[in-house]
Amino acid sequence: MSKSLLPQLPTGPAEPTERAPTDWTTVAMQKRIRRRYARERRFRFFGLAAVTLSAAFLAFLLITMVANGWRGFTRTDVALPIDFPASGIVVERAQLATRGADLALAGAGLENMVKSAAATAFGPGGEEVLSEHAWLRVRDAIKADPSILDRKITIDLPASTEIDQALGGKGTAAAEAAAAKLQQAGVLSRRFNADFLHESDSTDPVAVGIWGALKGSLLTMAVTFLIAFPVGVLSAIYLEEYAPKNRWTDLIEVSINNLAAVPSIIFGLLGLAVFLGSWSLFGYQFGPLLPRSAALVGGLTLALMIMPVIVIASRNAIKAVPPSIRDAALGIGASPIQVVFHHVLPLAMPGILTGTIIGMARALGETAPLLLIGMRAFIVTPPGGFTDPATVLPVQIFLWSDEVSRGFIEKTSAAIIVLLVFLLAMNGLAIYLRNKFETRW
Amino acid sequence: MTDTPHKMSARGVNVFYGNKQAVKDVSIDIDMDKVTAFIGPSGCGKSTFLRTLNRMNDTISSARVTGDITLDGEDIYSSAMDVVQLRARVGMVFQKPNPFPKSIYENVAYGPRIHGLAPSRAELDAIVERSLRRAGLWEEVKDRLQDSGTALSGGQQQRLCIARAIAVDPEVILMDEPASALDPIATAKIEELIHELRGRYAIAIVTHNMQQAARVSQRTAFFHLGTLVEYGDTDQIFTTPHEERTKDYITGRYG
Repeated sequence: MSKSLLPQLPTGPAEPTERAPTDWTTVAMQKRIRRRYARERRFRFFGLAAVTLSAAFLAFLLITMVANGWRGFTRTDVALPIDFPASGIVVERAQLATRGADLALAGAGLENMVKSAAATAFGPGGEEVLSEHAWLRVRDAIKADPSILDRKITIDLPASTEIDQALGGKGTAAAEAAAAKLQQAGVLSRRFNADFLHESDSTDPVAVGIWGALKGSLLTMAVTFLIAFPVGVLSAIYLEEYAPKNRWTDLIEVSINNLAAVPSIIFGLLGLAVFLGSWSLFGYQFGPLLPRSAALVGGLTLALMIMPVIVIASRNAIKAVPPSIRDAALGIGASPIQVVFHHVLPLAMPGILTGTIIGMARALGETAPLLLIGMRAFIVTPPGGFTDPATVLPVQIFLWSDEVSRGFIEKTSAAIIVLLVFLLAMNGLAIYLRNKFETRW
Repeated sequence: MTDTPHKMSARGVNVFYGNKQAVKDVSIDIDMDKVTAFIGPSGCGKSTFLRTLNRMNDTISSARVTGDITLDGEDIYSSAMDVVQLRARVGMVFQKPNPFPKSIYENVAYGPRIHGLAPSRAELDAIVERSLRRAGLWEEVKDRLQDSGTALSGGQQQRLCIARAIAVDPEVILMDEPASALDPIATAKIEELIHELRGRYAIAIVTHNMQQAARVSQRTAFFHLGTLVEYGDTDQIFTTPHEERTKDYITGRYG
């Protein structure tokens, strides 16, 4: 190329114009600088104060819960001597090995025998010392080892709620006197109550357990996640990547944002009407579609509730994926679905999971909508499946907090601790997954 | 002009964003063995026009293209054209290096993998090595193919993007200001690379840098306000432009 028209590049900077240097030492300037630093310090102080305040509230909550709740995980046992040969109960030994064992023992008058043994050991009114379910423990002991029927044994039986409360300093005067007497006799012992973790609801606070509600929560959360996560993420992908931008998609977007703000009890009414209601159509009677009080219905209702949250969080996460990555993939001939599944979704996953955590945590703590679909039932046996009657942890807490017996106070706190541990475990898992998916840029 | 058929031809191309017309009645040919440079001031429609050549404008919902663009005589805007296939044949390198946040190997292997170009692992390895060699990056990265592509320097990232584009064996490569985000040494390497790639691929490059256009291209098109002002051999455009506007732009009177 000859004689190019391209201009020569300039070789040096242009001459700077004259300018007086700034004087930083004047009084006004110094004052301005001091004010700026003061503002800085003030802001830092307010921030620190806010954090400290929240930390204090959190600490207060945790300390109160643990202080109230730890007793809920323990129980008081009373050592009761029983002289089986002298008690006069007759049990057909051969039946103990069969399925009829429980019936045979119940028929043998064990309950009354335990009461009279207590009266013998602790004086008149001695049966008040034991939980009304105490004889069940004796039954189990006989089933485990029938040879005890031939001798005199001492067996640890659960104390009554009154005694248990009296030991915690919250009993009536009479119960406290009785408890003090028992303590002097050295028959009381406190131990970890494993039954609390694998029993279910009961009318007697000494005999209640959290397992039924915990399992109900697990089943409900499983349904919620399996419905809300795929549906929410797929909706978000469709709306973000495929849907045309027009008045209809605007309407859908507004509706989703509104749904996220709808009070949860409304979703309970929706679940009640759709899943449990019955209606007639063209002369046919339909419904109810699903069984009442079941984890399946609870899960579906909560899924409806948190789906908008997941959709909104997922859309934001998908929007935040740099368009240059989409261009890069499209530019070498990836199809739209390959762009989404190979590039956009993996990069959006941490954000999607964060939204899902928030949604699931909200669902886990939700009570109101579940009350409406019958999950406030008195559940004595843990649900065996998704369609069995069940309750969930927050509803169980609500029910126990409503009980009259004082024994339920610490059980309520213990249930709250279980709920918080469940929540922490769930969040821990989600944070682990999020970090695993996080891409280093 | 030669008598051999053009690799790509654009005739009377208009591009609209909503009601705004970004490209007005542009006709250009892109030939094998040649690098065609698009120059012009910012906002003159040269990048927009480049993106019509592999239908990347389809991703912008308000964009509308009229006119004829053919690849080997085949209308790329006809309903029979498979866009995904088109983009495999007409590759693209973007202004900002945009490697996938994956390993160097995966960046290059991704295209061949989704198009099923390598039935075995050994063949895929061979494609990756060949592409990285052609992009002049092999010697620098051969010992760390599993490192993240985003950990490379800007210039290396851009060569990785070029390697990724040529791994699917395209016929045409479109480059949208491929060196504008790079330092002079990395820019020189990219320009060298364009020289080496010429002949194997038809190349169209958008650039702000007129020295660069003069160095790497054989044909130059000057765009202004959405219209194609002048289009001819690079030597002629930079020495004896026919249009006054071209001359003013090249001599730096406006831009």
